[in-house]
Amino acid sequence: MNEIERHLARAAGKTTVEAGEEITAAVDLVIAHDVTGPMAVEQFQRIGVDHVFEQQKVVFVLDHIIPAATVEARALHNSLRKFSRRFNTVLYDQGQGVIHQVVAEKHNLPRGAIIVGADSHTCTAGARGLIAIGVGATELAAAMATGVIDLEVPETYEIRLEGKMSPGVYAKDVILHLIGKFGTGGFTDQAVIFAGSGTAGMSLHEKMTIANMGIEMGAMITYFSDLDMVGPVRETFTFDLAAIPPSVACPYSPGNVVPAREAVGTAITQVVIGSCTNGRLSDMEVAAEVLHGKKVHPGVTLIIVPASQEIAQAMEDRGLTKVLRGSGAMVTGPGCGPCFGAHMGLLTADDVAVSTTNRNFPGRMGAREARVYLSSPRTAAESAVAGEIVAPGTVAPLDGGC
Amino acid sequence: MGVAEEMDDWWKLSGRVWLFGNNVDTDQILPGYAMSAPREKLREYALAGSEQPDFAKTAKLGDVIVAGENFGCGSSREQAPAALHEAGAGLVVARSFARIFRRNCINIGLPVLAADLLPYVQQGEEISADIKEGTICIAGSGSLIQAKKLSASVLETLECGGLINKVRRQLGLGI
Ligand code: SF4
Repeated sequence: MNEIERHLARAAGKTTVEAGEEITAAVDLVIAHDVTGPMAVEQFQRIGVDHVFEQQKVVFVLDHIIPAATVEARALHNSLRKFSRRFNTVLYDQGQGVIHQVVAEKHNLPRGAIIVGADSHTCTAGARGLIAIGVGATELAAAMATGVIDLEVPETYEIRLEGKMSPGVYAKDVILHLIGKFGTGGFTDQAVIFAGSGTAGMSLHEKMTIANMGIEMGAMITYFSDLDMVGPVRETFTFDLAAIPPSVACPYSPGNVVPAREAVGTAITQVVIGSCTNGRLSDMEVAAEVLHGKKVHPGVTLIIVPASQEIAQAMEDRGLTKVLRGSGAMVTGPGCGPCFGAHMGLLTADDVAVSTTNRNFPGRMGAREARVYLSSPRTAAESAVAGEIVAPGTVAPLDGGC
Repeated sequence: MGVAEEMDDWWKLSGRVWLFGNNVDTDQILPGYAMSAPREKLREYALAGSEQPDFAKTAKLGDVIVAGENFGCGSSREQAPAALHEAGAGLVVARSFARIFRRNCINIGLPVLAADLLPYVQQGEEISADIKEGTICIAGSGSLIQAKKLSASVLETLECGGLINKVRRQLGLGI
């Protein structure tokens, strides 16, 4: 068995499992947010049990449309508040941040623990060696009631990242490059283990950015190994990090990836820096380093969304917020922000945006025709100053000096 | 008619085809702006972001969505298959499905079959399917296509009318 299979076997109370086998696995944490949670609690109540399997293991985070943009959104929040009071579950209320970031900060779990989340980017937690699986509201409701989930053991693939990233290249460029190579359905129903010398030197933030977008290759599980030998896998792919260029995903798919230099010169009207992909402190540091002493292009709306309250506080403490605001950026409260087009920073058909988020499907950020390019925070911040897509190093030198 | 025959009939359905291409994501099936709409209004937004935004207005009960690869990729929002189901869709056939979307469909009792129908059907054409056998019959040409058979556990979920009923049955709460 490989690492993932070992964890699944343990959770299923078996000595071995193999790909294709149907198992029932015990879950260690169940998470949902203000868009999926209300439907999950509705379904939970249809099951008709009077308690959740374990109160401290059922977590709701209000992050998607907070503060409420519509009366209906407020009603969604209130339904989770009411449920959490009644069933004594964990609730992160009042804009504490994006679900995947908040769960990473507040819930310390051992490697191999199983998280199921009613959100496709639940896979972010694979950065910490957790088996993190995205599900829908009904499946989440079933897990809330029973503490188990039925799974088909996936085929496992290994992606080895070797060497070091070049200057101007970030974890986001690496994952965009991989999505471009494997396609948005490349690992559907399958698990991906990241390993190799290049991952050993990566920070947790970087691993989270990469694990986060595993779902953009269709993966059921993305997982960072801390071992040299991950065990038997279906196939191993090896990438030299030094050969990966700064990359962008062009409209209208995260799989439509080109080297950033090929998109240079594209005029833009909005830039978003944030989300569960790239809204962490290290991302804000990169943005502040670029924007220090500079002004956002007058034709560009720059929206910066810290992924959590903890990050927002650290940005204040380190003076990053001041630098960013000074450049003309709008720094908002923590949450999902404009990432999924339900509030704040919606785009018209004429708009062209660069965003550090994870999806640029038609209509994701507003009008169906709006064009969104996905990039690293570095490319995004430099493009915000230039008013058009530029490659890292164009607006500010790559070594950080002057 | 005997009980066994009635059960067999239950797995059979037919409807008109709505054609879609590859990589139809959940933002096209149900855009983010519709996510805070009340549950009973979801159906009005079914496929509102797709190339056939009129689906919700003109779909008939039992209509069949036919698509290419990776149907339902993107967000885990179960409101997307729920909107399709409530707008009338009785079956989704695609060359391949994104995992969460496929499971969501089954969990709410909307059957899905993996088969490549695109080369064989036209928009609006009548087709029929036997979910249990995984067979699809195209009325016009008479051709019969075999989809990948659904697993026993999936058939059980569909038979219960979705995962909630299945869990209720497992917990001895009755359907
Ligand atoms: S930041 Fe975006 S991708 Fe992440 S959980 Fe929120 S809406 Fe989803």
